[in-house]
Amino acid sequence: MLNKKLWISILLRSRPHFLSTLFPKQKLSRVFSCSYHISEPRVYIRFEDHFIGNFGFPKKNFCSQVSTLSVSKCWNCNAVALSKPFLACESCRCVQPVDPSVDYFQIFGLKKIYGIDDTNLESKYKNWQKKLHPDLVHSKSEKEKEYAAEQSARVIDAYRTLQKPLLRAMYLLQMEGIHVDEEKTVSEPELLAEMMEFREAVEEAGSPQTLKQIQGQVQEKMEVWSKYFENAFKNRKFDDAISSTQRMTYYHRINEEIIKKL
Amino acid sequence: MAEPAYTVASDSETTGEDKPSPAYPEIAIGIDIGTSQCSVAVWNGSEVEILKNTRNRKMMQSYVTFKDEIPSGGVTDELSHEHELFSGSTIFNIKRLIGRSDTDPVVHASKTLPFLVQTLGIGVRPLIAALVNNAWRSTTPEEVLALYLVEVRAMAEIQLKKAVRDVVLTVPVAFSRFQLTRIERACAMAGLHVLRLMPEPTAVALLYAQQQQQSVHENMGSGSEKIALIFNMGAGYCDVCVTATAGGVSEIKALSGSTIGGEDILQNVMHHVLPNLDSLFLSHGIKEIKALGLLRIATQDAIHKLSSQNSAKIDVDLGSGLRISKVLHRFEFEEVNQKIFEKCGNLVTQCLFDAKEDVGNISDVILVGGCSNIPKISSLVLSLCRKGEAYMGMNRLEAIVCGAALEGAIASGVTDPLGSLDLLTIQTTPSSIGIQAGGNNFVPIIIRNTTMPARKELWFTTAHDNQTEALIVVYEGGGKTVEENHLLGYFKVMGIPSAPKGTPEISVCMDIDASNALRVYAGVGMPGVQHPVMPFLEVRMPSVDDGHGWCAAALMKMYGSTLDLNILHKTI
Ligand SMILES: [Zn+2]
Repeated sequence: MLNKKLWISILLRSRPHFLSTLFPKQKLSRVFSCSYHISEPRVYIRFEDHFIGNFGFPKKNFCSQVSTLSVSKCWNCNAVALSKPFLACESCRCVQPVDPSVDYFQIFGLKKIYGIDDTNLESKYKNWQKKLHPDLVHSKSEKEKEYAAEQSARVIDAYRTLQKPLLRAMYLLQMEGIHVDEEKTVSEPELLAEMMEFREAVEEAGSPQTLKQIQGQVQEKMEVWSKYFENAFKNRKFDDAISSTQRMTYYHRINEEIIKKL
Repeated sequence: MAEPAYTVASDSETTGEDKPSPAYPEIAIGIDIGTSQCSVAVWNGSEVEILKNTRNRKMMQSYVTFKDEIPSGGVTDELSHEHELFSGSTIFNIKRLIGRSDTDPVVHASKTLPFLVQTLGIGVRPLIAALVNNAWRSTTPEEVLALYLVEVRAMAEIQLKKAVRDVVLTVPVAFSRFQLTRIERACAMAGLHVLRLMPEPTAVALLYAQQQQQSVHENMGSGSEKIALIFNMGAGYCDVCVTATAGGVSEIKALSGSTIGGEDILQNVMHHVLPNLDSLFLSHGIKEIKALGLLRIATQDAIHKLSSQNSAKIDVDLGSGLRISKVLHRFEFEEVNQKIFEKCGNLVTQCLFDAKEDVGNISDVILVGGCSNIPKISSLVLSLCRKGEAYMGMNRLEAIVCGAALEGAIASGVTDPLGSLDLLTIQTTPSSIGIQAGGNNFVPIIIRNTTMPARKELWFTTAHDNQTEALIVVYEGGGKTVEENHLLGYFKVMGIPSAPKGTPEISVCMDIDASNALRVYAGVGMPGVQHPVMPFLEVRMPSVDDGHGWCAAALMKMYGSTLDLNILHKTI
């Protein structure tokens, strides 16, 4: 069950209908937006190679493909990439196939740290979309249209992931090869009691003011654990980092409940 | 043009997919088909130009008159008198009627129109007919729109001195996907290929992005992100959009829309000055239709005057001894339409909430569409956005078609050396799409205001023991129960292994691609088994035809709850 959460989405990646038949080695490259949708009751994050193992794609092969792709040349005009990441060609403006070795932080020209100054994310996101969005290649070849669809979707995923602290935290852990089981049952009695308290408070809250007040408390907690994560991750104390993301997940869910009631 | 009145193209949905690309791009024209007026614009190589018809008008009336054998539309037709519009032979307000079944309240409200709208309330398309030589000639909204678009196309071809095929059309936010297919159908009938169906306020957002981009170039400004709220209200629909614009990219944050417009305001005022209007015109005879038309013109006139005056006189002889002479005050007008104004306010509040944007961050409030001229409406929208005045850089009636023309040029791959077309709109889904599960509940899979292209997946399970088949019924809308939403289509998943209820794992995945095509996939799995037990089913939606209301009822009658699904609850 767990491995099949995004079952069709994953299998669709290998469908020529969506992805290029001309560049079959690119078939595994796309991470769909559904994997990181925070408004759903659970946050789904999976390992790329995990899927692949499940569906019979040898991991070794996958990696070797990545390395061949890092010799960045435009598939259209053969120009050598001038800048990294190479998502669109500087000389012919052609959208390039997705290179899975380029991570979300690289797309946005950021260091792989939690505390990113996100004021520029939006404009960088828009700049990428102006080069990659499928709407802009409407009159181009089918191949480029597919690349645009994939690249654009990946930039959306990257943007959404980096924008939201919880998703960003999980993504960082994922890049370290750590999987956060966000469905793990709460075991710490102190946390369990706090969760119950919050839940009850939200249920009993009669006015929007009370709800806003609880929301304030939840957000405060969120910030505390967010800071905690930042430090733990920086010092590579991954166990602490995992437990802080789990707490952040709980606070996120309570906040969602509050928003629903507001 | 030596072409037939209209060419009915094939019904296939793949129009244009395999056409060879021309040596240089054909520029798609932008068309704003309004409930009452229509306009056409095109990128002329350096700027957007609104085309004028032979009477030198930019705004053309949206109607088709059926006379003898040759129908003619408002693009070229020279009506001898405005009253001819209400002779029974002229069909208008097509945008309110297209793609709706005879159970739709909007169709019922259209019965006071001066032509025949008949409903049987069984969920099929209503009977619409024009009076030709004292007999009712039936037609369809698609046919009327196609006839009109043929004239639009001919007008554009004469002006541009070349063949026109590709178009960008603007549509209301509230349009269902089924309605969009009807618009595409009408375009195909008129020999037009739809490059894009663009929600009206997003066309305005694109124009705004261009204007902001230009002012940044001129003033060497910072080019920082600007949040704008766009409010559009015409004769048939009201749309709201919140957009975040930077560097020529307009990112749509949220959309909201409803089928309310000037037509409803007009109906309210007509019922106000003539309370027994419905019963008086029940028979729909020729005399009644004429009287209704006269009342319409007089009321429309008064409403128009009330935008700048505090009172207006309605003085009209409806014949048969019925004369209406009444001074309509603005406060009266506002009272009669209070519910409509409330709805407008709700749409604005909803959109701001969905955009998760603080009112204080709004840089500009853009008011477009004929009804945004109504003092009560503009002041309401501005006060909700805590703004003193509206954005001044746009023509209320031309903004939408200009945006559509820009999109036409961009989508055609045209570039501008000065960077005027260095633009992009990042669209979101205007309404949620999901399936029926857990009884008659609507379970959204792709939630409203998700960035497009989008793909989402949810898990379901069987509702009965040993259930081997399940019905996937796809709906679109915002209601909690399926009855409140639009049916898009349905298909059956077969070959589910016999198991206790709640055991099989049925995955439903929805995908909206870059061209806004919706595909629904379903697959069946069993706990502990990695591979699907049967191949996935892929269904392109909408798949229903005109009898969509009736279809849902028939499905219910045939299968009851035997093929129901429930949401698969995961253990925590
Ligand atoms: Zn190149």
